[in-house]
Amino acid sequence: MSNFPQLIANGLVQGLFIAMAALAITLAFSIARFPNAATGDVMTAGAYTGLATQSATGSLILAGIVAIFTGAAISLAADRLVFRKLAGRAVVASLVASIGVAFVIRAVLGVTFGLSQLVYDIPLTRAKLYWGVRLTPLDLQVAGAVALALALVFGILHLTPIGRQMRAVADDRDLARVSGVRPERVMLALWMISGGVAGLAGMMLGIKTVVEPELGWSMLLPAFTAAILGGIGSPGGAVAAGLLLGVVQEMSTPFVGFNYKLAIAFAALLGVLLWRPSGLFGKREGVR
Amino acid sequence: MTTTSRRQFLQGAAAGAAVLSLPQLTFAQSAGVFRIGALNPITGSGSTFGTGMLKAIQAAADVVNAAGGAAGIKFEVISEDTQTSPQAGVLAAKKLLDVNKVQAVFGTWSSGVSLAVVPLTNDANVILMNTSGAPALSVPPANAKGLSFRFQATNDRFGRAFAEVCVKEGFKRPATMAFNNASGIGNADGFKKAWEGKGGKVVAGVVYEPNQTSYRSELQKVLDANPDVIVTGSYLQDTTIIMREWYQSGIPVKWILPGWAGSPDLVKAVTAPVVEGVISVDSVSNSGAESYKLYDAAYQKAMGKPGSSNVYAAMTWDMVITLALAIQSAGKTDTDSIKAHIRAVANPPGEEVFSYEAGLAALKAGKKINYQGASSALDFDEYGDVTPDFGVSFIEGGAINQKYVVKI
Repeated sequence: MSNFPQLIANGLVQGLFIAMAALAITLAFSIARFPNAATGDVMTAGAYTGLATQSATGSLILAGIVAIFTGAAISLAADRLVFRKLAGRAVVASLVASIGVAFVIRAVLGVTFGLSQLVYDIPLTRAKLYWGVRLTPLDLQVAGAVALALALVFGILHLTPIGRQMRAVADDRDLARVSGVRPERVMLALWMISGGVAGLAGMMLGIKTVVEPELGWSMLLPAFTAAILGGIGSPGGAVAAGLLLGVVQEMSTPFVGFNYKLAIAFAALLGVLLWRPSGLFGKREGVR
Repeated sequence: MTTTSRRQFLQGAAAGAAVLSLPQLTFAQSAGVFRIGALNPITGSGSTFGTGMLKAIQAAADVVNAAGGAAGIKFEVISEDTQTSPQAGVLAAKKLLDVNKVQAVFGTWSSGVSLAVVPLTNDANVILMNTSGAPALSVPPANAKGLSFRFQATNDRFGRAFAEVCVKEGFKRPATMAFNNASGIGNADGFKKAWEGKGGKVVAGVVYEPNQTSYRSELQKVLDANPDVIVTGSYLQDTTIIMREWYQSGIPVKWILPGWAGSPDLVKAVTAPVVEGVISVDSVSNSGAESYKLYDAAYQKAMGKPGSSNVYAAMTWDMVITLALAIQSAGKTDTDSIKAHIRAVANPPGEEVFSYEAGLAALKAGKKINYQGASSALDFDEYGDVTPDFGVSFIEGGAINQKYVVKI
């Protein structure tokens, strides 16, 4: 009686959001070397500024661009004002500082936009059946936008000089430096990409759900999980793990019910880490 | 360095988790006053109501202070945010109790928060006045000392009201969807008990987790049972997502929502056509009473909205007035004296009074009073619970129109 293709589709749609957030986290980790807990609130900022743009101009495309730039700008500012000053200290110092950054972002958003929920003004459309699977046009649009964003990020990482430098720094910072790579420029690019991805992810999530100050914060746990599961520092791994988590959660519901699906996701995480301690796509070193 | 990156990551994450939701500290202390801790859902899923609840506490405290205080003692209000989260609520309550030394805690919303906070107020021997519905708040261990007073209907009473509505509207095949906390499940279970007591059968029930990006699988499971109405114990954010996804599915069914979910904010969020015909059930304020008019005027002044937009603010307003009258009646501010006098000033028999000033005058004249609240007649039973009436509203063309009142 359970409709598994439908559950897989539901899981993939949910997984897309986890994947985007995990990608932003893992990108930052690959070079800055700490889990950035402010990622969730950068997403929230993207959702709010996108919403403001959309209601002012009516254009979702423009809203997406604004969300990306907001995310990038906040990440750059956080790096300049906080994270850079803590570079070289223990990871915990940067992590705790990033939680502080998260609080600041959330407080500013709360004061600016209020604490009540807001929604994107997008007409609701009925779902259509595709091979027995019920999907809404919005699902497909979100999936398309996410795919585009991922293609762009991977294009930058693998096809451009700055992307090559980023990967070099991620692999071995000292070796990259003696080879003439300027880490500052690389960091700049990295924070912009990570922040941009987070901003866009936040806007997508805001369209799909409701925009409220804890939008991104509540996404943080699954996103961290996916980042670890995929192999920390591995962008492809983060995306694959995000999708996998979404699907595993939904697929488990006929067997364990809806209350334990999160637990199942963590059981999957445990299983994978026992089998492959460096994550699905992590190298031995855990970074790439 | 590189081989330990995951370990560092996890260690860091654990350390971070410990400091996640520390409330900010403020220091406020002065002598000769009675300190009230306003512990409201300023953020999180209760944020629609939290700020208004706090403003109503402050406005009512101003009324009491302007009348010369309670037994000559002025009220001071110190506020904290529960974030509608039990963890944050506990930290905030600790801070109010330990740092600010508040003597009463008012306005916890959402049962998860109230249930988490009540052990602390019990330990500190402080009165907790809440607006939550969970049945567990009525009895020990939560209310072992009888210090918890509930200004909202219990979820059990909500469930009974839902069942009455189902009978009246002629529904035959109800299903339930409940948010996984004491309140959501309390609503669904209360409904099930009352409905089965009437000889009916609940065709499907789902309990779902908070903060999901989609509830499509949950919804599908319920709709597969082919119900004619879905009764929920839900909140605004999850209901927004559920109503959208239901509309997108195109499967016809009726809905009965609790008022905190089926609110004007829901209509605004999902647009009027989606929620056309949805039934919203809420405990109704005592809107014919003089006390309600006083509250309404104060709320209008503080929030720029009518008092009817926030049924919980009427409750927090009543908390302050009730406490002040109890202190005046007791002549003392220790918890046991206050507790002993709350029912004395709020329950019959006695002269019905509707404002603090009137109650104060009557008490000074040596009369027994029965405060009639803005939120309900405020008669506390042996568990510290009240029984408000329930308004049944239909969403029509985007407006929430109350059609009739159910008494249970």
